[in-house]
Amino acid sequence: MSEDSLLGRLYKDGETIVEEGMLSRTMYVIQGGKVKVVKNDKGSETVLALLGEGDIFGEMSLFDASPRSATIKAVGEARVLAIEYEGLLKRIKVDPTLALRMIKQMSQRIRDLNVRLISAQRTMHHASDSLLQLKKAEDVRIKDLEPNIITLITRLQEKLHTITEQYVHQDESLRED
Amino acid sequence: MKEAKAILHDGARVAIIGGGPAGSFFGIFASKLAQDMGKTLDLTLYERKSFFTHGASGCNMCAGVISESLVQTLALEGINLPSTVVQWSIESYFFHTLEGSVEIKSSRLRQRGIATVFRGSGPAGSLAKGIQSFDEFLLGKAMEHGVCVNRSFIDKVCREGEKTKLYSAGNILQECDLLVGAFGIKGATGKMYEDIITGYKVPPTVKTAQSEIELGNDWIAHRFGHSIHIFLLRIPGIKFVSVIPKGDYITISVLGKDPKLDHIRAFLDHAAMKKFLPSGFKVPEKFCHCFPKISVGAARNPFAARTAFVGDASSTRLYKDGIGSAYITAKAAAHTALLHGIEEKDFREYYFPTCKFLNRDNLFGRLLFAANNLISFISPISRSYFNIVQGEQKNPEKNTPYSDILWDMFTGSRFYKDIFFRALHPWCIIYLLGAVVIYPLKKAVFSFINR
Repeated sequence: MSEDSLLGRLYKDGETIVEEGMLSRTMYVIQGGKVKVVKNDKGSETVLALLGEGDIFGEMSLFDASPRSATIKAVGEARVLAIEYEGLLKRIKVDPTLALRMIKQMSQRIRDLNVRLISAQRTMHHASDSLLQLKKAEDVRIKDLEPNIITLITRLQEKLHTITEQYVHQDESLRED
Repeated sequence: MKEAKAILHDGARVAIIGGGPAGSFFGIFASKLAQDMGKTLDLTLYERKSFFTHGASGCNMCAGVISESLVQTLALEGINLPSTVVQWSIESYFFHTLEGSVEIKSSRLRQRGIATVFRGSGPAGSLAKGIQSFDEFLLGKAMEHGVCVNRSFIDKVCREGEKTKLYSAGNILQECDLLVGAFGIKGATGKMYEDIITGYKVPPTVKTAQSEIELGNDWIAHRFGHSIHIFLLRIPGIKFVSVIPKGDYITISVLGKDPKLDHIRAFLDHAAMKKFLPSGFKVPEKFCHCFPKISVGAARNPFAARTAFVGDASSTRLYKDGIGSAYITAKAAAHTALLHGIEEKDFREYYFPTCKFLNRDNLFGRLLFAANNLISFISPISRSYFNIVQGEQKNPEKNTPYSDILWDMFTGSRFYKDIFFRALHPWCIIYLLGAVVIYPLKKAVFSFINR
């Protein structure tokens, strides 16, 4: 493959394409290679998704002017084509169906997120059941920690339930539309 | 009793005449939308040409530049151009005038965002180079979407009531519910449709001259870089010459009044071009060349009942982005046929506005190119414009309105109307006129001081 015929920009392994918290309205289409979507929390990096050739990212910034919600980094060498915001809006004005693929991809991501949330909720339920069983066994150390653990689990459950409900609601609204 | 509305029902037969980008785009978008609507269409595309053939016979003859906006749009549509199709990725334009040369990059995105392609499988003699035809690539995409490709040549079309019958060499090939004319305007095909479709008239054309010269990948990378070179040299009868790098070749595209092979030879011998050629370069006796016609106007009535014309057979953008125009018209016609109907009034109401939009935009394009010609022939203005653009490119991170006008005009990245109103901005004109006065004064002062 000749480097002379490759479109977009080449990013090296680990190079940041999009930085979480930055303001930018450019979106991207992967032309070759892979990128990872990561969320940084107190120094630790959680990989949210791995995207490959043909995938779109950064499209959320088209619909709102909020800062980037996650960081995108190249995994190995990745070639990425940037889509210019102003030109795209003008093209969508002439042909609104151009936005359909983006909407379809966002819809798919919400579905994937729902599946992951429901799976996380099941794990939490399973963990809480196990702890309650331990409590019944009247373990002294667990008993000492009981109020904190119960509060923590209840909070986590409530939080997960709220998030799940929000996403299921969004998903249903999309389907109705 | 009210007549049933003519629509593309499930299983409707659609015949597409022409396997260039417009025909393939129509097939792709009609098939995609039909699938979303839960319908299946019987789509047949007629193209007798094999894009696997090298040289002019397998080529749809055009400069082969996929604009920045079309590369991005296709990527959003899920059509990513592979590196076998893209011959060279472009990040800048060089403008060569008698005043000097200046490189312009997009002020919006810093990337190689423009693709150069061969419409066929490459110039005559390029058999071993593994070049993939852009038209064949798109045709393959259409086939992936269920479009059947028939290699017969349609030489007769008859309208019988609601059906259209297609013939080849005296044999009937099929009856169709919708006929899509996506043919080129080079041959006699257009005349056949003018005879059977009342009111339809193919667009007016002008002749261009194109040639492919082999210089080798390394030389092209070293001398031409990832840039398209535009020569505005005030050669009588020539508006401008574009030199487009494509792998081992450069495509020379001459736009002017009745350009001939001699114009290409004269250009290759011009001092401004000679410095881009290897020392001792001699114009070969034989090289791949053609004189394609390009549309410079709009087709009259590019639709009728159960018939739509798209791409070059309909409306196309002036001088630039012909493939982008094929994308726009083909998609609009496909969506009209599926979402609104295939009667004449449906095409008039929902498809024709897209054609009119392009036609109106071309009026602004004409004014812009006329102004550009005028500027390039009036030395003081041309020099001032050149100096302003050169100044802007020294600090490309800042506002670069004059460079953006040139970039958008020659890359086809923006509609002409948008560029026209930017060019007419009072500050833009005042600054240019001011420069016409100031630059000679500055020069005079400097020469006086130096003396």
